[in-house]
Amino acid sequence: MPRLQTAEQVKRFQERCKSSLDEFPLVVSLCHGTACCAIGAKELAEAFEEALGGDKSVKFIKSGCHGFCEVGPLVVVRPLDVVYQRVKSDDVPEIVERSLKKGEVIDRLLYHPGDNGNVFAKEDEIPFYAKQSKVVLALNSHIDPYSIDDYLAYGGYGALSRALLEMTPDAVLKEISDAKLRGRGGGGFDAGRKWKNCREAPGERRHIICNADEGDPGAFMDESILEGNPHSVIEGMVIGAWAIGGDDGFIYIRNEYPRALKAFSNALKQAHEYGFLGENILGSGLDFDIKISRGGGAFVCGESSALFRSLEGMVGEPRAKYIHSVERGYHEEPTNLNNVETWANVPHIISRGAKWFRGIGTEDSPGTKVFSLVGKVENTGLIEVPMGITLREIVFDIGGGIKGGKAFKAVQTGGPSGGCLPASSLDLPVDFDVLTQAGSMMGSGGMIVMDEDTCVVDVAKYFTDFLLEESCGKCLPCREGLMHMSRILHRITEGKGKPEDMDRLARFGDAIAVSALCGLGVSAPNPVLSSIRYFEDEYLAHINEHRCPGRVCRALISYHVDPARCTGCGACEKVCPVEAIQPVPDEKRKDGLLREIDVAVCEKCSACKEVCPEDAIVVESPAVTTEHCRKNVTEMR
Amino acid sequence: MEETSEKLLKLTIDGIETEAREGETILQVAERLLIDIPTLCHWKFVKPYGACRICTVEVEVHGKTRMVPACTYNVRDGIVVQTRSEEVIKHRKMLLELMLARHSQVDVVRKLAHEYGVDTTRFEEMPSEQCINCGLCVRVCAEVVGANALTFVKRGTERYVSTPFEGESETCIACGACAYVCPTGHIKVEDIRGRKYVVSELALGPTTPIHIPFAAAIPGIPVIDAQSCIHMQTGGCGICSKVCEPDAIDYEMQDTFEEMEVGSIILATGFKTFDPARAEQYGYGRLDNVITSLEFEHMSHASGVTGGALVKEDGTEPKSVAILHCIGSRDKNFNEYCSRVCCMYSLKMAHLIREKIPDADIYELYIDMRCPGSGYEEFYNRLLEEGVHFIRGKGVEVSSAPTLATAERAEGKKLYVRCEDTLLGVPRELPVDMVILSVGLEPTADAEEIARVFKITSKADGFFMEKHPKLAPVDTLSDGIFIAGCAQGPKDIPDSVAQGAAAAAAAMSLIDAGEVALEPITSVVDEEVCTGCKTCMVVCPFGAISYDEEKHISVINDVLCKACGCCVAACPSGAITQRGFDDAQIEAELAALLMS
Amino acid sequence: MADITAAEKSPANTAEGIVPFEPKIIGFLCWWCTYAASDMAGTSRLKYPPNVSIIRVMCSSRVDPSFVMRAFAEGADGVLIGGCHPGQCHYISGNYKTVARISLLKKMLSQFGVEDERLRLEWISAGEIHKYAKVVTDMTEKVRKLGPLNWRKNFEPK
Repeated sequence: MPRLQTAEQVKRFQERCKSSLDEFPLVVSLCHGTACCAIGAKELAEAFEEALGGDKSVKFIKSGCHGFCEVGPLVVVRPLDVVYQRVKSDDVPEIVERSLKKGEVIDRLLYHPGDNGNVFAKEDEIPFYAKQSKVVLALNSHIDPYSIDDYLAYGGYGALSRALLEMTPDAVLKEISDAKLRGRGGGGFDAGRKWKNCREAPGERRHIICNADEGDPGAFMDESILEGNPHSVIEGMVIGAWAIGGDDGFIYIRNEYPRALKAFSNALKQAHEYGFLGENILGSGLDFDIKISRGGGAFVCGESSALFRSLEGMVGEPRAKYIHSVERGYHEEPTNLNNVETWANVPHIISRGAKWFRGIGTEDSPGTKVFSLVGKVENTGLIEVPMGITLREIVFDIGGGIKGGKAFKAVQTGGPSGGCLPASSLDLPVDFDVLTQAGSMMGSGGMIVMDEDTCVVDVAKYFTDFLLEESCGKCLPCREGLMHMSRILHRITEGKGKPEDMDRLARFGDAIAVSALCGLGVSAPNPVLSSIRYFEDEYLAHINEHRCPGRVCRALISYHVDPARCTGCGACEKVCPVEAIQPVPDEKRKDGLLREIDVAVCEKCSACKEVCPEDAIVVESPAVTTEHCRKNVTEMR
Repeated sequence: MEETSEKLLKLTIDGIETEAREGETILQVAERLLIDIPTLCHWKFVKPYGACRICTVEVEVHGKTRMVPACTYNVRDGIVVQTRSEEVIKHRKMLLELMLARHSQVDVVRKLAHEYGVDTTRFEEMPSEQCINCGLCVRVCAEVVGANALTFVKRGTERYVSTPFEGESETCIACGACAYVCPTGHIKVEDIRGRKYVVSELALGPTTPIHIPFAAAIPGIPVIDAQSCIHMQTGGCGICSKVCEPDAIDYEMQDTFEEMEVGSIILATGFKTFDPARAEQYGYGRLDNVITSLEFEHMSHASGVTGGALVKEDGTEPKSVAILHCIGSRDKNFNEYCSRVCCMYSLKMAHLIREKIPDADIYELYIDMRCPGSGYEEFYNRLLEEGVHFIRGKGVEVSSAPTLATAERAEGKKLYVRCEDTLLGVPRELPVDMVILSVGLEPTADAEEIARVFKITSKADGFFMEKHPKLAPVDTLSDGIFIAGCAQGPKDIPDSVAQGAAAAAAAMSLIDAGEVALEPITSVVDEEVCTGCKTCMVVCPFGAISYDEEKHISVINDVLCKACGCCVAACPSGAITQRGFDDAQIEAELAALLMS
Repeated sequence: MADITAAEKSPANTAEGIVPFEPKIIGFLCWWCTYAASDMAGTSRLKYPPNVSIIRVMCSSRVDPSFVMRAFAEGADGVLIGGCHPGQCHYISGNYKTVARISLLKKMLSQFGVEDERLRLEWISAGEIHKYAKVVTDMTEKVRKLGPLNWRKNFEPK
């Protein structure tokens, strides 16, 4: 493959790729993302390959994440355009026989939420997809991430060709500035301004870096982009190098993403072969290359200054950033750092224009944002929505509401250092500024939904412990302050909270937020502060009543058998690891109680609750003590 | 970049309007204005770190107020800084409370907290830890010393300082910089004392690579010991050049050799003390608390290693001291001569010990007390009155346990000094805490070399020999070379000064004369007899003989000729005679001697 | 037999009668070292035989072999030459030349039947006064044992 040298060559080659793709009358796109692979997509792929047996009329794609992880593994059959969900290997022959050969829709495999008989066949009919507007993830279900030709067939690298051969760096800069693209990594900093500052900063060399150290628990946006469409990131970075005057590029990928790493390495190799990387890219005179650097799994290395230290081969610790990294970043030289999603947006802006981009989203936060929607919603998965969409739309329309019809309690945005937003905030439009004002933040796009059975204090404790664990320990407030906040939270969840703890949490949190050295420390008290702001009553219930409203905190709950429901099947008795459940002897039996849980022995492991076919195990908070156990429970009934 | 833009930034600190250069931090500006901002992780010779956050100040920039650490915040134009506002104080108090929770026993933390009125903490107190994780040690090792021997291990609350992989560091040069900068004393010098480089040749305590050689050195200028200087050895550090305001540190400076043409030379090359390790029976170098008189001097000196305190190896005061005279002197095994000064300085040492430790038992073990000199005998009498025990009998052995049945017993760890008390006529063994060996004086190690270079002679004991003990006591057999002081033989300070003055006068008299009288004894060639064979030219060590091409004879230069007479004996034709030693004269001498 | 030879030569058997034989030894001593040592030995009241008569020379290299021959010829029983230690010559290398000359001279003397002990070359530095005394004592005794050389008689008409 000779390296492409002119815009004309690129265009012709794109057309060639497109026509060779069009030669396939049929397309099967299997979601081969991490989530689907975990529930059998790999076996499914083998089954498909066997069933198709080299059929030249069918293009079988092992694509990146389609998004609807809740009902994976997903298969899309085109041009029939149906989405099959929860596909198993046994279904493969049927799909090949009926859908491919005869063009029939297999109703059994269609998405049919609830019991109301609703069935959805096409992607844009499914409510989960309907409210999304995919830009960055648009090609995920259409292309094979390991094939650059697929990407080219969909116009890939067209933006690069346009930027390098038809636009000056200044024009590219202007386009990005006009698009008001804001950093998708969490800060929401104006990318155009950042690029411009970096370009104008004095220095010998400039570095273009992609931050793929996505460490938030439950977040997989960047991973999915790298796995599903790695070339879009490469294209964005090369365009960035052209505009900024970058001399070399790095991508900092966490080592826990082996699949993303593999896909991206492969993409780099291909881009090299085609002449989109390396010396004299497309004959423009731009020399640029991207090196992969693998992170060791430290959350703090997602912070820019720590990331640079890690890239330099030192311990990843942040440092004071009163001089911006665009002036002194990697090796004290001008550095432009953006995250995966930001880079992936760049080619779209160049090829479709700033005006188009600003047509999506809000005035101050244009474009789309990818979120990983997880937690207690019906439809978990990866979503891309226009900015300005309300939380309610995300949680109830796309997410399909709370699992099991329970009540919504809160949504945590912005990852571990984001904040908890209550039901009253559900109608807030999601953009950078509004979320910050509400005491949370956009973050890189983690969104965790909590139902009524979630304890807010427990969640705050979990995130605080996570951040404490990930704190580098350099500055005093983060290292020591978080530890004390964690201790207080542990105390509260153990029922040992004191009235003054509320005041202390707030004060300590404020102190950390004001004085910590890096972004991790400054935002670390967010989970606690925001949950106090919106759920103070839950904290007080823990402290004053020893009651956990979510019935989660073990020290504050007790397990009992509801005599009204218990049939005496004994299933609970068998699973109890500590033999706390005993049959009640006949002579003592009152109120029809057949089984009794000895709360003094009970470890509160919840095993009985999970096996009980009658849902007869109830959780009480505050915990009921042994002597009064039966009496109280009876009274309560 | 910074150098070119000499733009000055305006700012206000605590109401004072001032200016700062670009790149300066608030802390630097505050220091200049003598505004006190507390710090725990800052040292001006390492890069700002911003870990302790104690230096937090309030900054108003573009109308917005925020808290920033003064050590890392670069001044911007037009900012207004408050270093002691209510908010700042409140903030620092909170941070100090945080520190107190974990470091309640650390002095520097407690003191600073106390200054801010924080004596208790609302945080849950933990067992006090000494290390406050300020990272100064790690940074000084990396940035100043360049050894990179220390690092932080683990992260978050488990973070602590150690060597890489917690093993013995291969790059540590034991410079002690980490211990020096440690604000809490967590890193202790004791831990590394065994490896600390000792510059002084004396075994008493370390000194720094940069030091004034001794208290009364002339010129009193510090020198850098290239062997132990980190910069000279590794290229790192250079801290001295950073702190030296007149910029007087010059690492490039080399030893220079200067040649001087002089008319006369005074050799006052001094002596060395006897090395008592050669006399194994005294246990020097083998037993603790056996020291030489010079080491005692080093210790008792007010500017010495202990600041003048007399201490044993374990740091406690000795309660009994034995001073052993004539170590290496008046001893057939080493030097037969008397070193002349030891009796008097031994008396002085006893006096000093009595002064510093009034209740100490002091023993002087002597062969004879030699106190010749003005006021010397009187000083001896004074010591007798001060209650020093004088035992007439040389100390013969020092051991760590008693060897004689008659040894005097004592509690605790003692040194036992065996001697014969010749006045009582009994062998004794004294238990003491410390033994001081009064070492004698010896010629310097290079005395022989010096004698060779200057063509002077030495006596059997190795000291330089004078031309004549009575008639020319400071002259040598080489004209124009004079000797003075202990180079000529052991003597005390008054004698050395007197001899030095005499030597100087002798040298001056040469200069004063303005001309040098040549020795009349030279050789001459008899032009009539010389055959021009040039044999004489070959043997002349001074190149004083040249060949006259015209006359075909050898000619001797009278000024260059040193009159050895070698050529006279070598001349095959007997053409050369030596004035004053011609053949006829010697033959006449012979004849006279053998006339019988 | 050696004893008889010595006895024959000893003064006891001569016409002079019972006057004991006192060897006459000529010492050519260099100014800087051995002469200084002899001077110091005297100042130091060292005791040694008076048999060595000293002729001071500037350097041992001044000692013309003919002086030694003449000394023996004129009645000396022994000749002592004293110089500085090798490497310490006041004239840098004079004593090396002396060594060369004296060893040749000794070969010649042995051909004349002069015993080796009668000519002695010693390095005695200025400080070595005890060595000087020892050398003089030792040489005197050795020459005494050898008896008079009586070389002079060879030149007298029989």
